[in-house]
Amino acid sequence: MTSRPSDRIPLTGADAMLRAFDREIRRHNSASHASQLVLRLGPGLDVEALRDTIARVARDTPIVRSSIRRPGLLGAPVYDLTRAAHNPMPPLRIHEGARPSDPKELPASFAAAMNEPFNGKRGELLRFDLVRYGDGSADLAVTWLHMLLDGTGSEKFVEALAEVGAGSRAAIGLEVGPETPETILSARDRGQKAREWQGFLQSFADRPPSSPAGPRRRVVQEVDYRLHAFGAGETAFVVEAAKAKAGFLTPVMYYMAAAVRAHHRMFERRGTIPQSYVVPLPVNIRPKGQEGAIFRTHVSMLWFQLMPDAVETFDTALEEIKRQRRQSIRNGLVDSGVHAIEFARFVPADLFAAMVRRTFQGELCSFFFAFTGDFLPAVQSFFGAEVRNGFHVPAVPPSPGSCAAMSIHQGRLNLTHVYQKGAVTEQEVERFGEDMRSELMQGREHGAGSA
Amino acid sequence: MDWTREALEARVFEILRDDLLSVDDSFSVDSDLVSAGLDSMAVTQLMLAIEESTGVWVDESLLTPENLASTRSLSACVFEQLRQG
Repeated sequence: MTSRPSDRIPLTGADAMLRAFDREIRRHNSASHASQLVLRLGPGLDVEALRDTIARVARDTPIVRSSIRRPGLLGAPVYDLTRAAHNPMPPLRIHEGARPSDPKELPASFAAAMNEPFNGKRGELLRFDLVRYGDGSADLAVTWLHMLLDGTGSEKFVEALAEVGAGSRAAIGLEVGPETPETILSARDRGQKAREWQGFLQSFADRPPSSPAGPRRRVVQEVDYRLHAFGAGETAFVVEAAKAKAGFLTPVMYYMAAAVRAHHRMFERRGTIPQSYVVPLPVNIRPKGQEGAIFRTHVSMLWFQLMPDAVETFDTALEEIKRQRRQSIRNGLVDSGVHAIEFARFVPADLFAAMVRRTFQGELCSFFFAFTGDFLPAVQSFFGAEVRNGFHVPAVPPSPGSCAAMSIHQGRLNLTHVYQKGAVTEQEVERFGEDMRSELMQGREHGAGSA
Repeated sequence: MDWTREALEARVFEILRDDLLSVDDSFSVDSDLVSAGLDSMAVTQLMLAIEESTGVWVDESLLTPENLASTRSLSACVFEQLRQG
């Protein structure tokens, strides 16, 4: 069957880059580059209404079960909508569970869902896992092949599901973002910008990064994650400290400094200080007027390279992050990154992943990091159940093998540490959480968090 | 160039209106900047443009909600930094 162009939605450059990361993960094990969003719900969830809404959305917004394929040797990979009707619906799998004694503990099925492969060619892009407890409360994990939704898009998708379920919006027409960023540059100038970006990254190679996983692990690895929930008082302190030290509109640099410092401590304990820490920071590039875009990923990357002596204290790390961010924006590297990432669309995914690995001598970077601010602020209830907490679980490939993701739900900070088993030990996971808390709290005393 | 408070305010307003924000004629020196679309990227681009004009970099830690309330309040913050050299 030949599909018309209107039945094919090209992957964005960022989608294609994530597709390369997916191949990178498959190279090491049988999982996919999956991301997850978790909602912790009170009693009252209307499961049948949720199931019905998922089915309606999947029927009326076919990208969620389209087949991802490359139509020819040249040209960008696409979401092929003609296959959607033949592909399975996104499943809602229901598990019955006993409420863990530790409220921070999460169902084992959620981590398992992160390690279950998606077959993009067969339209397996999205799944839901619901764990119901005896007291009527529930935990819901939405897991997807990362290229379908970025972090911002995933929150918009869940918000849209809630609105469709409540009858305040139609299941059809959920926004698919733009294919490429708007630009007035010629192809030659875009190529020049992409080369500038590539050259910038190449300059890091003189002091290549190390990640907790190391560059060339051959063991089969699997993702696990740990939630560290902060109390309201702790969160208020962290939020104010972030604003005061890093700026009202740019607190992300504060959270990043904490993540660099906590990873630095992990390496110090190992006795193997890397030559540098290289950290990418995703930048949302949804254009004006398309802020509501749900599907496809819309990010550029700012890259940071911090030498170990620059992260000896929190303040020196933060000042270095500020300096490099300023310099990168001055040099137009957000825009250059967009054009460089565009090339991922036209290069076979395996080759693109190999090119990235070669730049950093086998590593992709030192760790992943994200701070996404307020989590689903407009969604207080979900299909009749109170949303008690919620957070992101980002994907992490075998290199770097460690990711610190933070967001704030109803005035409480959540830190999700996602890691590859075998790359980070249980003891290191424990210490990492303590170190992150200490860095974010600036060494102050704190009370126990709640989930 | 020796900046007066008024000249600096006019320059900051010009950068915001012409280069960084998508605003209409109702945008004034008293308009709320965050509501007008000033975000993390735009605020850094603004500070870089101010640095290019004045030679002074205003550290992010000084960009409080109060200072970012309007062009007028932001210009006053930058002017204070200029005076302190």
